[in-house]
Parts: sequence; C-alpha cells; structure tokens
Amino acid sequence: MEYEVMSAEAPGRKQVNILGATFEDGKPSGEECGRWRQKLNSRSEQLKYLETAERYWYGKEWFGSEKRKNPA
Amino acid sequence: MAEEARSIDPATLEMIDKAREDGSSNVFERSSNMKPCPIGLEGSCCRICSMGPCRVPLPKNKEETAEERAKRKGVCGATAETIAARNFARMIAAGSAAHSDHARKVTETFLLAAKGEAKGFTIKDEQKLLQVALNFGVKIAERSNEEIATEIGELVMKEFGRQEGELTPVKSAPLKRQELWQKTKVTPRGIDREVVEMMHRTHMGVDQEYKSIMSQAMRTALADGWGGSMLATDLQDIMFGTPAPVLSQINLGVLKKEDVNIIIHGHEPQLAEMLAVVVQDPGIIEYARSKGARGINLAGMCCTANEILMRHGVPIAGNFLQQELAIVTGALEAIVVDVQCIMQGLADVAQCYHTRVITTDPRAKMTGAEHIEFDEHRAWESAEQIIRTAIDNFPNRGKNIRIPDQKTDLVAGFSHETINYLLGGLFRASYRPLNENIINGRIRGVAGVVGCNNARTVHDNAHITLVKELIKNDVLVLQTGCSAMACAKAGLMLPEAAREFAGEGLASVCEAVGIPPVLHLGSCVDNARILIAATAMVKDGGLGDDISDLPVAGAAPEWMSEKALSIGQYFVGSGVFTVFGTTWPTTGSKELTEFLFKDYESIYGGMWAFEADPYKMAELMLGHIDKKRKDLGLDKARDRVLYDMAMRRELDAV
Ligand code: SF4
Repeated sequence: MEYEVMSAEAPGRKQVNILGATFEDGKPSGEECGRWRQKLNSRSEQLKYLETAERYWYGKEWFGSEKRKNPA
Repeated sequence: MAEEARSIDPATLEMIDKAREDGSSNVFERSSNMKPCPIGLEGSCCRICSMGPCRVPLPKNKEETAEERAKRKGVCGATAETIAARNFARMIAAGSAAHSDHARKVTETFLLAAKGEAKGFTIKDEQKLLQVALNFGVKIAERSNEEIATEIGELVMKEFGRQEGELTPVKSAPLKRQELWQKTKVTPRGIDREVVEMMHRTHMGVDQEYKSIMSQAMRTALADGWGGSMLATDLQDIMFGTPAPVLSQINLGVLKKEDVNIIIHGHEPQLAEMLAVVVQDPGIIEYARSKGARGINLAGMCCTANEILMRHGVPIAGNFLQQELAIVTGALEAIVVDVQCIMQGLADVAQCYHTRVITTDPRAKMTGAEHIEFDEHRAWESAEQIIRTAIDNFPNRGKNIRIPDQKTDLVAGFSHETINYLLGGLFRASYRPLNENIINGRIRGVAGVVGCNNARTVHDNAHITLVKELIKNDVLVLQTGCSAMACAKAGLMLPEAAREFAGEGLASVCEAVGIPPVLHLGSCVDNARILIAATAMVKDGGLGDDISDLPVAGAAPEWMSEKALSIGQYFVGSGVFTVFGTTWPTTGSKELTEFLFKDYESIYGGMWAFEADPYKMAELMLGHIDKKRKDLGLDKARDRVLYDMAMRRELDAV
C-alpha cells in the first residue's frame, strides 16, 4: 500500500513532510472504490495481510473460540 | 395456478402475456399442462432395476396400518424407506457431481492459465493464490505466481481422484466440526470417490438401510461444499479476481433495443469472462455498427450471470424462470449457454423469434441449438466467433419487439474476504464487529437464503417474502444464486434498503458499515463462501465453538435442482438448520423424513425442515436463531455497559 505524505508547517522548521491519513474516505466514490485488494502491492504485504486479516486460518497471534487465553 | 399468480415480477408477467400472444411455449405454460407425478414427488417410485419400476406410495388421507406398511415394498423387497433414501441420495450425488465437475473444468483451465497455455487467462488475484498455496502447503518463497499456480492446480486435480485421507479444504472448517465428521465417519476422502460410492451403494441390492445410505449421502454432499464447490470458488477467484462491491442492474429491462443483445446463461465463468472482454474490443464494436446496431450489450442469466456480475458488474437479465422470456422480448440476438439449469425449451421458443441458441460446452449439447465449442486454448477466438454469430443475427430481428421497462439497481460482490475487510478495514479486517452486534442483539442472527426458482410455486414470491421477513426481524441475509437475483429485483440489495426494510438494529449496523441488509455472495458454487463466513464467525469467538452453535439458519424457498439438495445437505452436515420450500422429496417415508428433520440434529447439530409458506418458514428460522441465542446466553438484547469511575468504585466496594 502506498502511504500518503503531506507537507505541513512545523514550528521552527518551516515545511516538513508528515505521514497522511491511513484511514479510508468515509464515502468513497468512483468505479474503483470497491477494489480494495489492489491496495496490497508486494507479496510480503499480501502475506502479512493474510496473517493478520485472515488470522483465523493463517495467523499465530490471535484469540478466539479455538485459541483461548485460558483454554476451556 | 391463475396466470397473474405465476410470478410477482411485472417484467415476467408482461413477457408471459407476450409469449401467449405470440403463440410461443414457455415453462409456465408447460407446468400448467404437466402435473407432477404424485408418486415420484414423494420419493416412492423406484426404477433402478428392470423388475420395476416399483411404486410404493403412502396411503392418502389416512394413517397407514401396520399391515399396509409391511406391504409397501418393491419386487425385490426394498422398503419405502430404502427407496426414498436411495432416490434422495442419488439426487444429492447428482448435485455434488454437477458442482464438482464444474470445479474440474475450472481446474483444467487454471492449469492451462498457469502454464501460459490459455491465452487471455492469467493469475489476477495474487493474494488469493498465496492463500490457497498456504491451504495446500505449497512453498511460496521467491517462486513465480505461475510456478505456485501450477503446483496448486496439480494438487487440486488430485483432490478429485483422491482415495484416502481427507479433502484439503476440510481443514478450513471449525476444529470441532472436523472432529464430529471424523467421529461420524463422514469426512470426504475424495470428490469423485464419494459420488461413485453413492451411486454404487444405491444400485440394486447394495445398501438397504436408510440411515447408512444417508450417511454416505452426507459424505457425498460434504465433498461438494467443502470440496468441489469450495475449490471452484477459490480457483475462480485467483483467475478472475476475488469479488469486491460493484454496482449493477437486474431484470429484463437491461436489454437494449438499439444494441446487439447477447445473454450468457449457465454456470461456469470461463467463457463469460472472455465474452466480457471481447465485447469491449473496438473492432468487434465496429463490426456490430456495420450491421446497424448501436453497440453490443452483454447480460447474464443464472449463475454465470452471478459470476460476471460479482467481478465486472455485467448486468443480469433475470433468473432461472426468465430464460425463455428473454427470447420472447424479440430483442435477443443470441443466448449463449454452457452447463446446468439450461431449459431445452429454449430451442423451441427460439423458433418463434430470431434468437440463436448457442451451446458451447462439449458436455452440454442440445437438439435444435447450434454448437460453437469454447476452447480454452483459443479462448479469444472462440468468444469472438460466438459474438460475431450474434452480430450477424442482428439484421434478422423481427418487428415484434417488446422489452419490459423493469430494471433495478443492486450492489453485489460480497465475498468472505470483502466482508472481513468491510467490517474492519485494511488494518483491522475482522468479523469482530459482526459477532459483537450479534452478541449485543442489534443483529439477531444470520441467514443464508439461496437456491433456484421453481415453476410449481409463484416465481420469486417465497424468496422476497422470506427475506423481507428476516431482515425486518434484524437477521442479516447472505444470498447466492437465483434467490439473490429475486431479492435484487425487489431492491433489497441496495444500502438504502436497510432503512426501508430492515429492523432498527440491523439497519443501524448496515448504515454504519455502508452495506445492504441482504448481501450477494455470488453463484451456487459460492455457497462455499457462506461456509467460510460462518467458520470465521465461529473462530472469531463469543458465539460458541462450532457452526451449530451460531444463531444462523439456511433456506432454499423455491428450490428445484439436485444441486440445491446437495447444498442443503452439506449445510445441514455443517451444523445449519436448513428449510426447503415448494416441495419435499422424501414424504413417502415418514421414518426417513423424521430422521432428516429430527434425528439429524442430535448427530450433526443441524437438520432439515420443509415449509412451503414463506411466513411460516421465517418463523421456523427465527425460532431456531432464538433457540441458539438462548443457548449462548444471548436471549436478552444487551448493549455493552461502559463503566464510569463511580460505577467502578461501586464494584470495588462489593
Ligand atoms: S430395485 Fe427393487 S424396488 Fe427398485 S425397481 Fe428393482 S425391484 Fe423395484
């Protein structure tokens, strides 16, 4: 995913580059708005996403019905 | 059935009238003239050997005496239970075979694409490729997508002919469910093996104990849901992209008078994908213009439609019972078909109009249709030949053209992956918000409403009535197949439908996430997406340890195909209470029906039910959802209490 970089004025340092918003627009529009998977570019990003987002099958760090902190 | 009671869709009724005026036959008219055989209807006719057919119907309008029951046997001595179970199991085997042979064809194309031998087909979704590689234990490292895909394709192909062990996708199910399947000995070993064994065991003189027959029927169905269908969906996603939300339109009104209209109808997406690309080719569009058309309009029908709708937003002309009526508009140049749910009546109806019926699959030819075979090795050329045939037919249009005005907007494209993303975003994708809202009571439960249309009931009525009842009662509805199309036509698949039709709780969640209260998950093989969504709900936690613990239910209110029975059976086997409407094929044996409707619950945690009235069907489903909520201790709606300091001090003081 490409991060947005914004330019802002910092006290005593004039213009500095800072990381922009990483959240999505509240109401995205346009033909491409639903195409979220294309935001993940590199293979490592995609594998990382599987490990976190699809953690139920591919993650090590998660808790749920089959991975309780205190086993039932 | 009175004419006006054949459908609740105005476009369908308009075209039924036009068909009558034009003297063309159609499924509605044929179903009025042909009554179903009452003995076959209840599953009491056996014709598997030439000493029969033997008919063992249940006595009408009276309780059967023990003597009468003892006499209800075939020539070989087979009981009504055995006969009904064999018939039911064979229907499941046919359904499982249909989905799985679809999967095999997809796998063949996938392998060709991976090896670069199918021009025009590539790996579109690398992430899904990696996901399936993890499922199959395929090494990823620095290997190319093509290398990984080739190894996946070869491993998937082996799943069909596998003889021992467990199908690989079964490992995606909740752990408790996998244990239950092992314990009850229904874990599918290989896709083809289960279908073949089912056919063997229902051959004359083999398995003659209905519970045993139904045990293999379960294994055969699970080989579909957690095998063929799931693999088809996965490989299609890799080749054509995992669906994401897309806006489109549905109903016969999507046909355009000025354009060359082509409908692609059937189930497999390969040809449809290629047609969707080739119709945009400037050379082809120019060719259409040279014949006097404004352009080319591609629309879909049945599950092929769902596939290209989900991925490209190609509009849908209608569901199963509308296929002949699309020809009746007089504005259809070609109806291009592949496999499954294609009425032979198309060829008859086409005789009254100029439409060309084009079969494309070597497994599915039709008398009266022309055959242009789709060859994956030269996919573009095959697609172009089909489109040119349609264009050449444009000047043959008659004057008798009437396209109904009806078309409705819809949002489709809700794969499991997209639901997960929509609920949490790219950095926190999760089913947690769904589970939380079920726990706090805003969402009462989740229902899968799927399946076909059936000319024996009012077209679309049961689907729409049931789904409206469910969402009004705060049940989030997941849909596939022709059922999804019915509800899309009624405007239920738009985000605005949440405020208009859903209960307060469900509407508030849908509005917060920006989704409709009824989510379109795709075609009938995509019912596997519902299994995965249910598994994600289980694994996320808070709603029990197995799918059978979830407050969920399933339905196919207007089912007609053997595939629907296979789907129902694998949902039941996965722990889901599943209600079918219109008709039920085992009523000839009370014992077997009781076994499926009651005893199954103690074995699989899910069971079948039959109810033709959609309101009562909704009641049954809501009753089951509430029972599950009670078992989970969620019977009272509980908003999360946020403790302030004073409340905390009070707690500490106790
Ligand atoms: S198998 Fe038995 S019940 Fe079936 S047709 Fe033959 S004799 Fe009749």
